[in-house]
Amino acid sequence: MSKFADIQIDAAIVRRAARGDARAHEIIYRAFATPVYTLCLRFTRSPAHAEDLVQETFIEIMRSVAKFRGEAALGSWIRRIAVSKALMFLRSAWTARSQSLGENWDEVTAGDALSHGVSRHPDEAMDLDAALQNLPDVSRTIVWLHDVEGFTHKEIAKMMGRSESFSKSQLSRAYQRLRPLLSTGDAESAARDALRSF
Amino acid sequence: MAGNSKDEEMICGLTMDERDELRQGLFDLPDTMPPRVVWNRIREQGEAEGLLRARSSVRPSTWLTGLAIAASVVLAVVLVPAMNSTPELEQPVTQPLAGDAGSDLPLTALQALMVQSQRLESDLRAMPEEPQVMRASTVATIDDIENAIAAIDFQLNDPSVQMTGEETELFWRERVRLMKSLVQLRYAQAQRAAF
Repeated sequence: MSKFADIQIDAAIVRRAARGDARAHEIIYRAFATPVYTLCLRFTRSPAHAEDLVQETFIEIMRSVAKFRGEAALGSWIRRIAVSKALMFLRSAWTARSQSLGENWDEVTAGDALSHGVSRHPDEAMDLDAALQNLPDVSRTIVWLHDVEGFTHKEIAKMMGRSESFSKSQLSRAYQRLRPLLSTGDAESAARDALRSF
Repeated sequence: MAGNSKDEEMICGLTMDERDELRQGLFDLPDTMPPRVVWNRIREQGEAEGLLRARSSVRPSTWLTGLAIAASVVLAVVLVPAMNSTPELEQPVTQPLAGDAGSDLPLTALQALMVQSQRLESDLRAMPEEPQVMRASTVATIDDIENAIAAIDFQLNDPSVQMTGEETELFWRERVRLMKSLVQLRYAQAQRAAF
């Protein structure tokens, strides 16, 4: 489902890029800049940080493309690099704030939902984009990796240096927060929410 | 990747429909293009770190060669119809316009060119790695051909370039011709290396 998978680059361009050809790298950049930037923007929420991460990603591509053997699709390979750079950034940002990955979620409690822009009631729901942006870094990242990029919990756990159950529980909690935004089964969901609150 | 049964079991609090809706909603969120300046910064860093081959100092004509070939193809689009009556043309470059007398020949010709191009790509991939030592003239020729192919690919993939069916076909025809040259060159190179 990932948008990286839809992009095809001619093998001759990749060979030229491996020799350091600027034009070939520009072609690769133009093909992948948007999905890479979108991914980085989703992770960081900051255009300036996302631009820096795009730069780091494509510099890494320049350094490593000669080792790319084509066993996987070029898009998957580039996506891995972008995800790795973005996670590294988030990790360093968390470190700077003296927070661990696990603690990040606890910044937001159920009672804080409204103040973080996600209503528990469908009729008060904000749009999905805003709701996603208002999720804590870890859960937003996991939602994106799992549901948009198609990574498994095992892969996410490995990339984040956490357990699979951590990835699963973060996703589950994020779903609970995003659920009021969904139109499907509103009445049923609202009833279930109401029952849960007792 | 995602979607294995274990993952499915762990989806708490969402029905299948809800989860599908959420995934589709996330996937449909708009993409964002980075500002134009980002590529300039990347290129500058790449050049400063020696990751990109220096432009124009050794062989100033590489990129221009590609452009020239691309330009010549465009020129051909303009000139060839005027030369249609010339009997000594080796190969008809233009085809009847799409829709003329219900003919679907242009589309078929284009598809054939694409298939041929793909086949040549496969042939090229199947060849042994380039030898470590090559004649400078061979390197330059290969480089020129690859530059020209890159220029054509750039044109074909650039969404801002609006091409007619005829122009697209001409670009593909030129691509096939260049790919043939590249394959022949690499084949000769591989044979030399074998002896």
